[in-house]
Amino acid sequence: MMLSPFDQEPDPELGRMLREALTGPEPEAFLRRLRMAAAGAERGDQWDVLAGWVRPRVLAFAVAAGFLLWLGAWFGEPASPADSGVTVASLPAHAVVSSQPPAVDEIMSALRERP
Amino acid sequence: MEDAELANAAGAGDPDAFGQLIDRHGLAARRAARAILRDDDDADDAVQEGMLAAWKAIDRYDTARPFRPWLMRIVVNAALDARRRGRVRQAEPIADTVVSGGLGPDRVAEAALLREKIDAGLAELPERQRIALVLFDSEGWGHADIAATLNVPEGTVRSYVFHARRAMRKTLGTLAEGMK
Repeated sequence: MMLSPFDQEPDPELGRMLREALTGPEPEAFLRRLRMAAAGAERGDQWDVLAGWVRPRVLAFAVAAGFLLWLGAWFGEPASPADSGVTVASLPAHAVVSSQPPAVDEIMSALRERP
Repeated sequence: MEDAELANAAGAGDPDAFGQLIDRHGLAARRAARAILRDDDDADDAVQEGMLAAWKAIDRYDTARPFRPWLMRIVVNAALDARRRGRVRQAEPIADTVVSGGLGPDRVAEAALLREKIDAGLAELPERQRIALVLFDSEGWGHADIAATLNVPEGTVRSYVFHARRAMRKTLGTLAEGMK
């Protein structure tokens, strides 16, 4: 029976030559590097990847916000009632508690009293 | 332990199991990558890239299918991508010290000549023939696994191996006297 050239078996001699030529230097060190790279690589789905990305940034944002608040508290002037722009005390008491709007002259006199 | 069992354990997060898979298939992957890229450093980078991609995707590996072609397809694709992106370095001849491994001068010269001829022979082959030849003759893979790796019919793989061997015999000349 005639065999087809496509009925192949591996050729040990050619295989040996190919392995000799292609294995490359320091195979053990190469495998060790691969194992270390895999051990050092994180595995996980896209949510883990996103979570890993977000966590340090949230922390950095919180630290930055805290620092800015501290700066504001340290250098900023303390707020005083006079700075609020509302001089409720100078209005007549009935204008404050009344459900009706105050008269114009009452408002004008209150503004004139303001320092 | 079978590859599929190790892959299952790796999928459950066991890096040692994946380490064993690297030990089993890492050098075959390196030879295939070197056959494609023909440069030590590029090939090693491509294998590492492929192995890390496989490690990250191992929980998506279907254990009903053979592991070796699944892994090798990832590595081969990484090597092909590296070449397509033109990321490869200029190929340099391998130093004699790499080939020698403590051999005598005659044997060193013979090994260097063999490497040179094999390189020249592989360089003449179309890419897929080169991969098929290396996986079949060097790694002892069956046609079916190579077909699954290259995503071609088995008959095409047989044809690749046939033509690649014929071309290699021609290039290797007298060195190929022992070949089938």
